[in-house]
Amino acid sequence: MPTVSLEVKAISAATTPAPGMKEAPRVAKLIDVSSCIGCKACEVACQEWNDLPPSVDRPFTGSYQTMPDLSWNFWQLIKFNEILRGDGRLEWTMTKYQCMHCADPGCLRACPAPGAIVQYANGIVDFVQENCIGCGYCITGCPFDVPRLNPQTGRVSKCTLCSDRVAAGLEPACIKACPTNCLSFGTKEKLLLIAHQRVEQLKERGFPNAGVYDPPGVGGTHVIYVLPHADRPEDYGLPKDPKVSWTLKLWKGPLKWLGHLIVFGGILGAFVHYLRFGPHRAREEDTGK
Amino acid sequence: MAERDEIQRFTMAERLIHWAVAITFVYLVLSGLALFYPSFYWLASVLGGGPVIRRWHPIVGVAMFVFLLGMYLQWRRDMKLDDLDRQWLRQVGKYIRHEEGVPESGRFNAGQKLLFKTMSLMGLLLLLSGIPLWFPLRFSRSLREWSILVHEIAALVAIGGLIAHIYMGTAVVRGSMRAMLTGWVSRAWARAHHPRWAREVERTP
Ligand code: HEM
Ligand code: SF4
Ligand code: SF4
Repeated sequence: MPTVSLEVKAISAATTPAPGMKEAPRVAKLIDVSSCIGCKACEVACQEWNDLPPSVDRPFTGSYQTMPDLSWNFWQLIKFNEILRGDGRLEWTMTKYQCMHCADPGCLRACPAPGAIVQYANGIVDFVQENCIGCGYCITGCPFDVPRLNPQTGRVSKCTLCSDRVAAGLEPACIKACPTNCLSFGTKEKLLLIAHQRVEQLKERGFPNAGVYDPPGVGGTHVIYVLPHADRPEDYGLPKDPKVSWTLKLWKGPLKWLGHLIVFGGILGAFVHYLRFGPHRAREEDTGK
Repeated sequence: MAERDEIQRFTMAERLIHWAVAITFVYLVLSGLALFYPSFYWLASVLGGGPVIRRWHPIVGVAMFVFLLGMYLQWRRDMKLDDLDRQWLRQVGKYIRHEEGVPESGRFNAGQKLLFKTMSLMGLLLLLSGIPLWFPLRFSRSLREWSILVHEIAALVAIGGLIAHIYMGTAVVRGSMRAMLTGWVSRAWARAHHPRWAREVERTP
């Protein structure tokens, strides 16, 4: 884990603020869905760089998609979504699917194990397997359904945005492999500019609803998309309005204070009651022996 | 036993079940607190480390539920609230301040009965909400989200009840710890704390 070279901004289950002091340029990955050709070079590059063993036990489902879903050893996936448009035409939206590296990561909020999830100042959200206890709370907390539990090790894993490569000044492996420039990597500022330019191009070419997917419900993400039909992100397998859920906020906020009140208030209350009223002596003869 | 100045309050089976619930429950509270509060995470280290409590908390939870079910079955009849109990509850302030004039209680007083009912209900809620947290991959996300809320609220209520219970049993009502350990109490203790029950036992030797 390159925790040495990347400034840490937030740590799961921390009792003190994260040690990071320096600001770092915020990085992002841009996925221009309109220029993905479904070659899956990025999938291969990811498996190779991260040295992930392939799963060969999944059934073939008659789809171009490599796997039905992400798994603990398969961190990104080109989804081959087949969409029937209103005019009866079939559209094949090939959409890269992986951790979104949320600015307000639900996984990190939910995690009870100190240091099992960290967020770097550059925006990358990383799982630190040696601190993970395998509770799966991050799976519940993530609005994008990304973390995957390895049943053998009881640890969770997901896309790291190649934090190891980024720490060394390289771009993520998937970006390196992409032959069409569908994927690009850089500062989020710059990529948002490029994305909006691309959206203008698409609008001119007959995609009036083209737009950028950078959902505000999770504070924006460090993986952003250009979608030809941004009004219907579900068509690309992306949630329409992902949010950190209110249950998670309640659980990690007010309920904690209620808990403190009950535990410490209860103990304190009992102590004060004892000082004031002492043990119960209902009758003279009550000695209890 | 007419010779002795003692009467039996709890049978061996009752005591065994009670302490089985108590020990499993305390483990669950400690390991649960570690999973709930970062500032209590050190409890996880004391209990063998995070992955260990992640593994054992649900298993011990099921064990506790089984013991609690046993406790429910054994005491359910003794724990029904009657009219005097309801009066007792209305005058609970007097009981808390140790004043005279509290309605006489039977084998258990109304506070104990309420604790019993609360713990039984919380035990059931904790079990039901715990299962989706145990096997997150088998249940839907929204069910898991609700489960976490229910699990935590039920746990907090149960912990509050436990604090009051331990305090009453060890510090306030002297002699009840001996009752739960040896099974026996003095007649004087019985008359003082559970007069209706004392009369009943004395009538049927
Ligand atoms: C380690 C902690 C505990 C201690 C020291 C403790 C102590 C006691 C004592 C001394 C009694 C006898 C009261 C009497 O004679 O009237 C008792 C009864 C009882 N205990 Fe516990 N107990 C503990 C944990 C628990 C837990 C976790 C539960 C349930 C979840 C529980 C449920 C009960 C019930 C229902 C009774 C009978 C009625 C009552 O006294 O409230 N106890 N306990
Ligand atoms: S997409 Fe999910 S796993 Fe990735 S940072 Fe956001 S909440 Fe965490
Ligand atoms: S499974 Fe691991 S990373 Fe996920 S919430 Fe639990 S401890 Fe944190």
